[in-house]
Amino acid sequence: MKILVCIKQVPDMESKFKVNPEGTWYDNVDLAWRMNEYDEYAVEQAVQLKGQVGDADLTVFSIGPNRVKETMKKALAMGCDHGVHVADDDSYQKDPFQIASIIAGFAKDKGFDLIFTGMQSQDRGSAQVGVLVAELLNLPCISTIVDFAYLDGKVSVKRELEGGGRALVSCNAPVLVTCQLGLNVPRYPTLPNIMKAKKKEILSIEVAELLNVTARQETSKLYFPEKKGGGLVLEGDAGDLADQLIKILRDKTSVLA
Amino acid sequence: MHFKLTEEQSLVKETVRAFAENVLAPTAKERDEQDRFDRELMFDKLGELGLTGIVFPEQYGGAGADYMTYAIAIEELSRVCASTGVTLSAHLSLGANAVYLFGTEEQKQKFLIPMAEGSKLGAFGLTESTAGSDAGGTRATARLDGDEWILNGTKIFCTNGKEADIYIVFARSDRDAEKHHGISAYIVEKGTPGFSFGKKEEKMGIRSSATYELVFEDCRIARENLLGDEGKGFKIAMKILDGGRIGIASQALGIAQGAFDLAAAYSRERKQFDQAIGSFQGVSFMLADMLTQIEASRLLVYKAAYLASAGHPYSMESAMAKLHASETAMQVTTRAVQIFGGYGYTREFPVERMMRDAKITEIYEGTSEVQRLVIGAAIARR
Repeated sequence: MKILVCIKQVPDMESKFKVNPEGTWYDNVDLAWRMNEYDEYAVEQAVQLKGQVGDADLTVFSIGPNRVKETMKKALAMGCDHGVHVADDDSYQKDPFQIASIIAGFAKDKGFDLIFTGMQSQDRGSAQVGVLVAELLNLPCISTIVDFAYLDGKVSVKRELEGGGRALVSCNAPVLVTCQLGLNVPRYPTLPNIMKAKKKEILSIEVAELLNVTARQETSKLYFPEKKGGGLVLEGDAGDLADQLIKILRDKTSVLA
Repeated sequence: MHFKLTEEQSLVKETVRAFAENVLAPTAKERDEQDRFDRELMFDKLGELGLTGIVFPEQYGGAGADYMTYAIAIEELSRVCASTGVTLSAHLSLGANAVYLFGTEEQKQKFLIPMAEGSKLGAFGLTESTAGSDAGGTRATARLDGDEWILNGTKIFCTNGKEADIYIVFARSDRDAEKHHGISAYIVEKGTPGFSFGKKEEKMGIRSSATYELVFEDCRIARENLLGDEGKGFKIAMKILDGGRIGIASQALGIAQGAFDLAAAYSRERKQFDQAIGSFQGVSFMLADMLTQIEASRLLVYKAAYLASAGHPYSMESAMAKLHASETAMQVTTRAVQIFGGYGYTREFPVERMMRDAKITEIYEGTSEVQRLVIGAAIARR
């Protein structure tokens, strides 16, 4: 079985973000970088699947500047077999369609049985890349999965729906799934596996070799919304206050349905 | 020379930090208050991560990593829970390392591998009521009787006492020899008849770490449990403590960094006179000094760790690292309490625990005074 897991390196979300001088993205200096949280679920599920089927080859794939290899090392230490790094210092300027095209350009003739991606990235959050990759590869795609099972070439998953519902979906491989919070608890890489990851190969490919489409969308401005005022102060006697509060809760929230 | 961690070291730092924050932090306060050691959290899980044998070769169940990696792991554990930091430090750099450095191949197979793999916890019994900084004052005795050694005496302040499975114990095997000669090292397993545990210490800090008295009453151990050469125990102890100091220095560094991180975050949030207190020079200069001291400690720790890994002498450097890091930990945690003000003095915030935890780092595995003695002696030899 051949498995691909696509990961993105994103800033630590605890970082203090600043808008870059062009005003189109965040400034990427002085940031600590991590694996996108949803991609950690993807890696964990891929590693579990490899453990289940035994005979599997698990590739971790990432696009970005050289530093993304540090995050790929984590995926290798978690159990991926080898890495493919698409070198691109300007990956943050690419739109979801271009990113998906790069991944599809790599994966198209490799015969992957399963492709795992995160549901979305924590920084751009378009939630488009996984779905677009499936489309470009002419594969079925099941998004936002919170449970995963594989048996005899068939994938059975649970999807999370808005409003708290769940849907059971099954599909024959090859298939692409996008992973949501709650799917699993990603393992901590063990020290011996961190040491072993040092010897695992990361193949580097120049982005120009895989990218042959132009962007379909453009981020023209990135900004922080203005700070809201200091909340709403209700006035009146206790009975009045209670009535006002209930009305607000009923009209503006789902606390009182 | 460079000042950047390797990719592997960075990944260890990130992993141990996440582990400490997610797994150790939630119960750190409660374990401190209840004076409770939790073997599963504080040792078994470290074994699962491969941290219980960091520096030992793979053939002995270790991870084959360097002392830098070890220092980083102890720092990150201690940043959240200093008790877990010392549990690992005593296990690895005192207990397991003694067998690694001085054990026979059979002893390594029998004792080092399970310790490095994390199935057996190690401990080190050197200190006695009359032998603290002066290990030559050891009074416990060992007498050869046929194929067995008979141990008698009491060891105090043993970290991981009662919880540990394998103990490195020092006793006087030759009563006629001069003070520092005639001491030998032994490997004693928990459960050996004649080996029991005395009182549990009620400590000011690192309360979640177990500290017990070890009692030997005609305790018979196999002749082959002698560790290293007979009569060389003092030298063995000193050599082991050289490495142990890197562990405690890293622990102190972690405590200081943990307290600093909390104080810095608080100084940005806490408002007085309509301003974040961190914008007042009085607080900001305090934080500047704290971080400068921490960074200096870290460089000393890393240098000692580098020397140890490269096989160079590092006795003086590890003494400097331990001296500076432990005194920094005490100063930084005291100032962190100051920045938190009245809240810092309450149990609601972890900085008071960190201040109590910090104090011991100036005392155990060689007091600050002994570290100065080691450094001074090295200067005199030049």
